[in-house]
Amino acid sequence: MRILVVEDEPTLAAQLAEGMRSAGYVVDVAHNGVDGHFMGEEEAYDAVVLDIGLPQMDGMTVLRKWRGAGHGLPVLILTARDTWREKVAGIDAGADDYLTKPFHMEELLARLRALIRRAGGHASTELVCGPLTLDTRSSRVMVDGTVLTLTSHEYRVLAYLMHHQGQIISRAELTEHIYAQDFDRDSNTVEVFIARLRKKVPPGLIETVRGLGYRLNKAQ
Amino acid sequence: MNFAFLRNSLRMRLLAGTLFWITVSILVAGWGLGKLFHRHVQAQFEAELRNHLDQLTAHLVLDDQNQGQLRLPPSDPRFNKPLSGLYWQIERTAGVSAHPAKIILRSRSLWDETLVVPADTPADGEIHQHRINGPQGVVQRVVERAVTVDAQSLRLIVAANESLMTEPVADFEGYLWLALGILGIGLTFAASMQVFVGLAPLRSMQDALGRVRHGDARNMEGTFPNEIMPLVNELNSVLAQNADVVERARTQAGNLAHALKTPLSVLANAANAPGKQDDELARLVASQIEAVRRQVDYHLTRAQAAAAVQVPGMRTAVEPVIQGLVRVMRRVHADRPLEFVVLPDGANLAFRGEKQDLQEMLGNLVDNASKWGRSRIEIRVKAVSGKLHVVIDDDGKGIAESERDNVLKRGVRLDEQTPGTGLGLAITADLARMYGGDLVLAKSSLGGTQASLTLPLV
Repeated sequence: MRILVVEDEPTLAAQLAEGMRSAGYVVDVAHNGVDGHFMGEEEAYDAVVLDIGLPQMDGMTVLRKWRGAGHGLPVLILTARDTWREKVAGIDAGADDYLTKPFHMEELLARLRALIRRAGGHASTELVCGPLTLDTRSSRVMVDGTVLTLTSHEYRVLAYLMHHQGQIISRAELTEHIYAQDFDRDSNTVEVFIARLRKKVPPGLIETVRGLGYRLNKAQ
Repeated sequence: MNFAFLRNSLRMRLLAGTLFWITVSILVAGWGLGKLFHRHVQAQFEAELRNHLDQLTAHLVLDDQNQGQLRLPPSDPRFNKPLSGLYWQIERTAGVSAHPAKIILRSRSLWDETLVVPADTPADGEIHQHRINGPQGVVQRVVERAVTVDAQSLRLIVAANESLMTEPVADFEGYLWLALGILGIGLTFAASMQVFVGLAPLRSMQDALGRVRHGDARNMEGTFPNEIMPLVNELNSVLAQNADVVERARTQAGNLAHALKTPLSVLANAANAPGKQDDELARLVASQIEAVRRQVDYHLTRAQAAAAVQVPGMRTAVEPVIQGLVRVMRRVHADRPLEFVVLPDGANLAFRGEKQDLQEMLGNLVDNASKWGRSRIEIRVKAVSGKLHVVIDDDGKGIAESERDNVLKRGVRLDEQTPGTGLGLAITADLARMYGGDLVLAKSSLGGTQASLTLPLV
């Protein structure tokens, strides 16, 4: 899962990125509205944490531009002005949730999990696919109740597939969602992760659709 | 005499002044015109009498017996009609016989009466006037002249009823006062109309101000005459300035909040960082940050509201505010099966106050209901005896009666697991009281909590 954080205060931005990384997300940070808007347009993110008070282009404008261009990615807005006027304006501009500063990291992560789940059409905090169960709160994957030992990259690949189970996910898409923007990507590494995962999960669960990508077999 | 009503009413002042001058003018005009006409009629009357006297003089001759005779009777037919009111008479005064004077000739109109004129001897060619009681006691105006014919002193008299002169004058005066009276009434009516029409802009200015006070308008609308437009403009700029002050206060409060809260977030995250949770200092920082945040929220909201309550002309439609909040709740709680029902009773009602304050109050209540409600939130807006009532019901687990007062206190939270500052209800209750309203919590018929907010209605 790849998250974009748009926050101008450097320390807070670093704290946010750190907190999310330790929760298993891939995080990109933008420090102003213009960069944030550009990255949201160009890169594939699973959710955005967007501060409202930003230099160069304020968060509300960034959000409206994304929505205007048809980007439906889940957005959680951070607001310092704890007024309902701002919350209503934020939601009407297209935000999916809001959080008021100062906030607890745990709460931010909980909201983020809920947003990503909702975007994938899942109501529960636990995603189930055949014998596989993904607990989004603890970032663990279980096979029939036994916790799998996964590296962070393996977890990201599997979590992404589970959020989009039944859909065909291309290698490029997987790459985009498991690496940060400035990472030197090599789509061949995805094949390596998939190969490792196939050894850990029940056979036949991860299908290869030739020429298109991978699919998590729901019916299994 | 008490003239307080003049001091208090511009209309009465104008009317009283105008009426005074109308009355004076009419009295002077009536008196002057009456006098003029009277003089004119009198002069004519006297000229006529003299005319008759001249005729009489010219036709007087002495016959063989030295008796006076008229060569021709005077031409006016009234001299021949008995008691017509126009008479002549010729007396012999001195010379031949002694006093009393002997009447030698008189008009037929005298019939068997005589004119008794006081003794007088006008010089030759002079005409004297008298006023006597004539036939049947009717007052007569008399002219006489002394003529000497063949050593006989004759006295020629012409008399006419005074009423022939006074009656037209009285008639005229009657019509005159009637006309002037009608004129006076017309002028009074015109003056009243002028005052009414002239002062009408003041009345509409009052209405415009009333609309501002009642919250129907932000500033005074409409065009006014050049004389009072500056006043209206001044009032509007005062109103605008008021609104500006509020807006500035809000912006500054918002800026302060922003400036404070981002550093607070940094501190809070640092204190909550992994491995720091057991640190004494980190725990202290975390608890103090929470305290600072509550204080900032609470006092900022209060300061903003205090500024807004003072401003007249505020009016906020309730329905759109509720719809906005429901949109927020539906989005934020999209993964829960919550149904929001806004009952359509009071769709057109408006709150007399600032939109943001209404948003704060209702936002906190709707937010609470959404957090606690299981499946259904009902929001009802109604007007009860001139007050706006917003009632929000949820089907959550509700608040025990003993705890209801407690949750309205600052920073008290019944549940530490559900996110929130614990200030929402306290802020809402405070804001409602600032507007002269109230917040009451009760048990809902849906099973959860019922929050009833009472606020001023436009």
